[in-house]
Amino acid sequence: MAEGVIRRRRAQLWLGTIVEIAAEAQQAAVVDTAIAAAFAAVARIHRALSNHDPASELSRVNRRAAARETMISRDLRAVLACALAVAERSGGAFDPTQGARLAALGFLPPQPMADRAACWRDIRLSARGVTFARPLALDLCGIAKGYAVDRAVLALRAHAVMTGVVNAGGDLRVFGERDETVYVRIDGAQGGVQPLVRIREGAVATSAYASQRRYVDGRWASPLIEPRNGLPVMSTRTVSVIAPTCMLADALTKVVALRGRAAAPALAAFGASAAVLSPAGERWRFTQAA
Amino acid sequence: MRHTWLIPATAALVAPVAEFAYAIEYLSVDAAQRAAFPDATSFEPVLVAADVKAAIAQEAGRFQVEPRVWRVRAGERALGWFIVDEVVGKVELITYGLALDPDGTVRSLDVLAYRESHGDAIRLAAWRAQFTGKKPGDPVRIDSDIRNISGATLSCRHVTEAVHRLLLLYAKALAHG
Repeated sequence: MAEGVIRRRRAQLWLGTIVEIAAEAQQAAVVDTAIAAAFAAVARIHRALSNHDPASELSRVNRRAAARETMISRDLRAVLACALAVAERSGGAFDPTQGARLAALGFLPPQPMADRAACWRDIRLSARGVTFARPLALDLCGIAKGYAVDRAVLALRAHAVMTGVVNAGGDLRVFGERDETVYVRIDGAQGGVQPLVRIREGAVATSAYASQRRYVDGRWASPLIEPRNGLPVMSTRTVSVIAPTCMLADALTKVVALRGRAAAPALAAFGASAAVLSPAGERWRFTQAA
Repeated sequence: MRHTWLIPATAALVAPVAEFAYAIEYLSVDAAQRAAFPDATSFEPVLVAADVKAAIAQEAGRFQVEPRVWRVRAGERALGWFIVDEVVGKVELITYGLALDPDGTVRSLDVLAYRESHGDAIRLAAWRAQFTGKKPGDPVRIDSDIRNISGATLSCRHVTEAVHRLLLLYAKALAHG
């Protein structure tokens, strides 16, 4: 660390997880103001995109957009535009319209109006707002955290912070002129941490579904839905994706978790690559998806 | 974006560092108080009566540690309350500071310290003991180099329950103070 550099780390609870911000600048007042602004951005996105709050923008759009074109914030527009781009490039493996199916499994509050047969092609994003071709429940859990990380980084940079890391429960982004070592956390009996990647100016997101499973109707279900048949996938793999933005990395973990090596073209389209860890006896087997 | 994978090449088998403890202090109590109430001139400790704690335990479960409560003022003006509490999850222990406005609205919630341990039950017990003041058993390895961890999200359910308990504490003991 250079002399005269003030380094701060702060953590708050948002988006159902711990959001940690580490930042460096020449003056304490600069870092403190920047971190406060970054958390304010995260809080704004938390409030807008929550599926658990009936008063959130997302809940309001879910109630209205099938009936008429609904105005949306810049945040929701940015997330939807990225979600649709990843959906298209992944042949629908990433699909932000699986809220009704997730609700049926108990991962989200009930979505009685939503059509379970909905898919990403039912979303029409226009210059004015968004319209759904049929009643559906948008679920942005797989992407909103990454977006919040990106906005936090933007806020830090706007406040003259040169170097930092924002980590929202494992979805993180590194910025500034320094390499950071990122470890991956692996659940289970042979779990622990493993050095994953050294990265500069980029994002890492990791998804693991085994620890999030629920017992529903006599079998285990995870919050990862295969959009082709609407069924939850039980995967013991840990998928990490690195990408230029955290929103992309976050969304692409779902594509790799569902498609494995067949996700390579989608990863390449977004300048991303992936590492997959799967349990093999007492050890973990690593494969690079792209 | 520039990167180098640190995991061995294709199809290699790896063993993660299975027994490690991760601990980080974000803010001291002082710093958290100042961050939540920059205009404050005094933080006056408040004791919570035993019968209030018992009543809260009945409704919302027992406190895992004694919460520390401060009345916050700027001169004569009441600014609100600051409370430090701890929650223990499956592999994590979180110390957090909750700032409330005079009417009980949550002003901010900062994590002050976070500790996480992976490994066997004995190590976990030893790791917890060092934070609860009991006599520690095995030494616990703290990996201070491990700063950036990507991976499975830890649940915040325990913290949500603990905050609910503190809001009950506000309603029963602080609201009319």
